Amino acid sequence: MKQPGAWRAVERDISRRTFLKAGGGVAAAAGLLSACGGGTAGPGSPNASAVQIASPTNPVRWPIHDDVPMIASGLKPEAGSTLKIYNYADYLSPRVIKNFERDYSVNVELATFNDTEEAIGKIASGGLGYDIYFPSYDQIGKLVAAKLVQPLNQDYLANISSVWPQFTDPWYDLGWQYSVPYTTYTTGVGWRTDQVNTDVASLPNPYDALWDPSVADKIAIIDDWHVAMAMVLLREGNYDINSESSEDIALIRTRLLELAAATDPKVTITMYNDLPAGQLGLCQMWSGDVVNAVYYLPKGQRPDILRYWFPEDGRGMVDNDLMMILAGGQNPVAAHYFLNYLLDEQVSLANFGFTGYQPPQNVINPTRLVEDGYLPENLRTATVLPEWFDSGTRLLGMPIEVEQQWLNVWQEFKAGA
Amino acid sequence: MPDRLPRGGSPAPRWLWPALAAPGTAWLLVFLVAPMYLVAAILFGTIDPILRRPIPVWNPADWDPTQFQYVWSRLSGADGFFGPALLRTALYVGTASVLCLLIAYPVAYYAARIADRRRGMLLAALIAPFWISYMMRMLAWVNLLQNDGLVNQLITLGGLFDTEIDWLGGRATTVVLGLTYGYVPYMILPLYAGLDRIPASMIEAGRDLGANRFQTWRRVTWPMSRPAVVTAVILTCLPMLGDYFTSDLLSGNPRTSMVGNLINSAVLTPGQTGQAAAFVLLLLLVSIVPMGLYIRVTRDGEATRT
Repeated sequence: MKQPGAWRAVERDISRRTFLKAGGGVAAAAGLLSACGGGTAGPGSPNASAVQIASPTNPVRWPIHDDVPMIASGLKPEAGSTLKIYNYADYLSPRVIKNFERDYSVNVELATFNDTEEAIGKIASGGLGYDIYFPSYDQIGKLVAAKLVQPLNQDYLANISSVWPQFTDPWYDLGWQYSVPYTTYTTGVGWRTDQVNTDVASLPNPYDALWDPSVADKIAIIDDWHVAMAMVLLREGNYDINSESSEDIALIRTRLLELAAATDPKVTITMYNDLPAGQLGLCQMWSGDVVNAVYYLPKGQRPDILRYWFPEDGRGMVDNDLMMILAGGQNPVAAHYFLNYLLDEQVSLANFGFTGYQPPQNVINPTRLVEDGYLPENLRTATVLPEWFDSGTRLLGMPIEVEQQWLNVWQEFKAGA
Repeated sequence: MPDRLPRGGSPAPRWLWPALAAPGTAWLLVFLVAPMYLVAAILFGTIDPILRRPIPVWNPADWDPTQFQYVWSRLSGADGFFGPALLRTALYVGTASVLCLLIAYPVAYYAARIADRRRGMLLAALIAPFWISYMMRMLAWVNLLQNDGLVNQLITLGGLFDTEIDWLGGRATTVVLGLTYGYVPYMILPLYAGLDRIPASMIEAGRDLGANRFQTWRRVTWPMSRPAVVTAVILTCLPMLGDYFTSDLLSGNPRTSMVGNLINSAVLTPGQTGQAAAFVLLLLLVSIVPMGLYIRVTRDGEATRT
């Protein structure tokens, strides 16, 4: 086992602390010491941020640790070895996996998680030996600082040349030392025309539909504190969706409690199943899920009842997921080959066909996704345009004490008081 | 029963009984005491500053009560947003247990006293649900209860009436019925075992003394089956108290959150694992009450039998 068990976390933390001080990337020694000494670890307690926060205005080049080296160039994956992949369910095409197994004579084992916080917890507990993980970009800092990921050897990743230029030197990982992009998506509102009579997209503020019992019953929001709560701020016209202001957080709380009183929403991530099944009429939704939902419609149901709204000017949540190679895996060479395989134009298109999540590939003409048969006409709005990564809002990491305030509000909302 | 059984030969050596109790004691230490200590060490422990995962603190002298105080202060009062979820849990579990008992008692009674030759088959049918995991059974209900599912088709007579019910739309009724359905087999078996143990001679004596069927049940069978009822209710109540995926699968709505859901989401939220530990300890304290009741009732039962 490369990682010690949870009960060894204290010892592990000391080495981490040494690193953080030496690395100089952190001005939080006091916070760390108090947290380790047992003084102030309670919710909402003052606790300086331990990890640097990357943002478009503060691009970060993450440190490379001597004890987590990258692999040498020119190696081949060991035939017959088992590559372990850790991903969301239904987020990787089984056919793509099968073809990779055939082409490289390795076995692939897929384990799944429900949310990335849960996933990081399991990875950090050690011993699971996963090779590849699919995080969101706000987690890189934590993963690097905790030495859970290894730097990429870019010699193996020639297919990076086929992705959108925004992602070949991204602000969240300058020099793409640790990550390659996987998919892109927007977060908007999805609905069924047979359950919602209003054209949500033409409302003055389409987010209002989630608060309006007269527009629809059977409403849901995404079970992810940041995604759900950021939407509340966007509805208010506040684009600072990583706000550190207590007033903003208090406003989110008020609006969430109003939401619960008005439309009693479900809190889930299975919209891609529940909307086509008719359990939901209107929901906050990821663009990839609404594309995917077409395949979950019951037999005989016309696909043109599904609709999706995202701000036309791109000023909403625009995100991308990543692929990273974990330090605790046994097959880093095969992992590099797999990453390069998924960056291949044709492979990523085949994967797009299964997941509904658009890869940031140059070969795709985002303005022609409908004409090229990737999206149905009624879901043209689920297209992700490259320029939105400049205009859209991004979910960023937060200082711990701020994050704790957000989490407390979410906890209250989810307790259903 | 007499206090001491007459024994032939020399008495057992002094070490025999402690030795026989050793596996049980070790089991308790490893699977009850140690985990509870770990829960306490996490509750009063600290948090890893990078990944926000819990770091257990083993020495009680260094324990930090912040997390416990946080949960405690939010159980009631102005900030008490956990309170409704706890009350809801008690209400759901209570209602579901009563429903379970109303269903399980007649079934167990029938199996134990009336079924006769069909008993074997009936018992097999009662045990059958155990062959399928609880989660699979709940997932099956998700399909049946969907808006265009079989249940609504039956209610509307295949779409004849427009009374479609949104079963999965966050209804307390659905969650309580789900709990009842899920745990009723756990109630039937101990009840059956208890009712089957009642000597037929007692009941015959009741009938001989002039009581009719109902009076015999009320004055003989019911008092003698009470320990089995308490056992059965406790066996179903305790797992129900910690249940979270019945509410997750059949509702998914904060309005039906139970304490199990609070624990589950706290465990999965960075920095809140200590709060989950606080709920676990509170739940343990609450469940000690019915355990005490159980011990008292079974002791009384033993006493009346001798």
